[in-house]
Amino acid sequence: MDVTSKTSEVPEEPAAASATEKVWKAGRLEPMPIRKLPDAPPSLHILGPTVFLVALGVGMGESYMWPRLVLVFGPDIRWLFMVGVTLQAFVLLEMARYAMATGESIFFGAARIFKPLMWFFYAAAILIYMWPGHLSAGAAAFEEITGIPWQVTACVALVFVGVLFSLLSVIYNFLEKLLGLLIGLLVVGTSVIAAMVGSWDDLGRTVSGMFAFGYFPDDAMTSAWFPVVVGSIAFAGPSGMQQMWYTLQLRDSGAGMGAHIPKIRGLRAAGEAESMPSRGFMFDTEDPAEMAKWKGWRKWVTFDALLLFWGITMLVTISFTVLAMSAARENPNVASLIEGGDRDAALKAMSDAFASAGSPILGTLFFAFIALIGLNATLGLFDSFSRGQADMTYYFVPGAKRFSMSRLYAGFLWGVILFGILILLFGPADGPAGILDTLAFLSTFAMGAYCIVLLLTNNMLLPKAIRPGPVRNVIIGFGAVFYLGMLFYCLFRFGVAVG
Amino acid sequence: MASYKQLAEYCLPAASVGAAAGLIAGGLAAFVGQPAGWAVVTGLGLGVPLMLFGSGYAALVALGKVPAGVFAPAAVYWVIAFPLALLVHSVVTAWVVTGSPGLPPEPWKFLAFRALVSMGFAIGFLWMQEQLGRFWWPHILDRNQYARRVVEQYTHLATALAARKAATGRRT
Repeated sequence: MDVTSKTSEVPEEPAAASATEKVWKAGRLEPMPIRKLPDAPPSLHILGPTVFLVALGVGMGESYMWPRLVLVFGPDIRWLFMVGVTLQAFVLLEMARYAMATGESIFFGAARIFKPLMWFFYAAAILIYMWPGHLSAGAAAFEEITGIPWQVTACVALVFVGVLFSLLSVIYNFLEKLLGLLIGLLVVGTSVIAAMVGSWDDLGRTVSGMFAFGYFPDDAMTSAWFPVVVGSIAFAGPSGMQQMWYTLQLRDSGAGMGAHIPKIRGLRAAGEAESMPSRGFMFDTEDPAEMAKWKGWRKWVTFDALLLFWGITMLVTISFTVLAMSAARENPNVASLIEGGDRDAALKAMSDAFASAGSPILGTLFFAFIALIGLNATLGLFDSFSRGQADMTYYFVPGAKRFSMSRLYAGFLWGVILFGILILLFGPADGPAGILDTLAFLSTFAMGAYCIVLLLTNNMLLPKAIRPGPVRNVIIGFGAVFYLGMLFYCLFRFGVAVG
Repeated sequence: MASYKQLAEYCLPAASVGAAAGLIAGGLAAFVGQPAGWAVVTGLGLGVPLMLFGSGYAALVALGKVPAGVFAPAAVYWVIAFPLALLVHSVVTAWVVTGSPGLPPEPWKFLAFRALVSMGFAIGFLWMQEQLGRFWWPHILDRNQYARRVVEQYTHLATALAARKAATGRRT
């Protein structure tokens, strides 16, 4: 049962605030009118906007970076992954708290606190995400299977995504269904492959390593490896600004007060889009009935966070680690290639090892899943980036309101697609070599920064009754110290940004 | 008889998940140049047991033995069924390659490892079954009592949505 897409049935109309209306004052921007909180869906379903976060989050970190660290430092290094993903699950819950209580994105929340914070994220998103390098791993895997040059696949994929998203009536509903199916296939597939090639001992060591808290070998503290370890922790689960975009997907799914905000439409149907209210809404937290509904929403999102996000991220990375260990056992050359850091060569060697150990199917299947991970991430990334930039542009760039949110979304989507094609054909896909370190720095810095923004928005902008408790605050505070501390330690001790 | 037919019709999405796993394995075997017979054996060896076990789970839901859409019973079911399906696949593959059926080395470890991995398969199975089912079940609702019963289990969801719609009203 698709719960979230049904929320589009909630009727919305433009705001008609009256002078006597009850409002909630949050920060420096326009107060939020009080509206009814919709009822939460029962949490028996296993679908939700978290599919976007899973699609974005299960990427190279899970399928390559962490298996690589395990081969270099042993399975015990995985406790750091456990800490990273668990922290991200808490970040998800806190992001959802603000988005579901207000129907606003976290970017809007940041602007309510201090507008330059929001502009930092606006600029960082463009700098980090306009480069099409993220397409290369999936497209290269596709090249291994079909022989079609990866640049061709990547360009066709870019145009395909643009046309597809422009033709859709309501983008969110379609993407949720498509990503749901693709991730289902990924989960079923990786389980089957891991079951076919892995062994009890590999799994035992991988899982026990997740609880080896405090293990940190001396080699990991070198200038060669420490930045890689920090980068891998930042890439455990969703990295960079992906968690912030999740607030937009929650809003479009109609979760909590997001039900009062119209959905983004494809360019073809942009004319049918309802007008966007100029800010979010708040519910009456002094009404016990409303608070009961709020508890229902928190339960719903917690279910999503634990089972979908934490569970699937763990599953995929455990499966890929087991695969890497069995590949290294079959062919010692794999271990040295993976340690060497040439991603494409290492993935090819892993595929070959599976092919020789079991059958050629396994090698091909391995590449098919790397390609599938790439496809999921590409679909999610283009949608999320365009959504985030359109949201900030619409609300905060003077004069932008004369375009609808759907048209701004289309503008950013096609802008990043055309720029991506130009770069794929004529430039460096990951971005100019001179700024790669800056981009890696910005990506991790944004994660520390959004932890601080979360602490501020959820404790200063929300009514007392729905603010996070002290434990949650300590965990998010730890997140800020964790990401920023590691980043600056890396920078000052070794003189490099994350690897 | 009609009841069995209805049950089979209802189980189609669940069986499709196993068929997809078999098709991927068999299709890719053919694609990489394996003999057609080998590809078919691999596909069937994996796909048929997963289809049968998948249908078995869907039948339990249809007959009201297990609630729809809940994870825990699916996890318990697949912790047994998934290792058995892979054992069948292993025996069949060994049979085709060596000419005589044989168990994998250290069968208990073989089963225990796959039992642990089954958790992931259970999530994927339930997820894909719901994704496919929401297209298929409404399509057969009028003539299929099992589809009707399962869809009715979501009634309180519909009720919640209706109540919510009323509560939200048309004003924003």
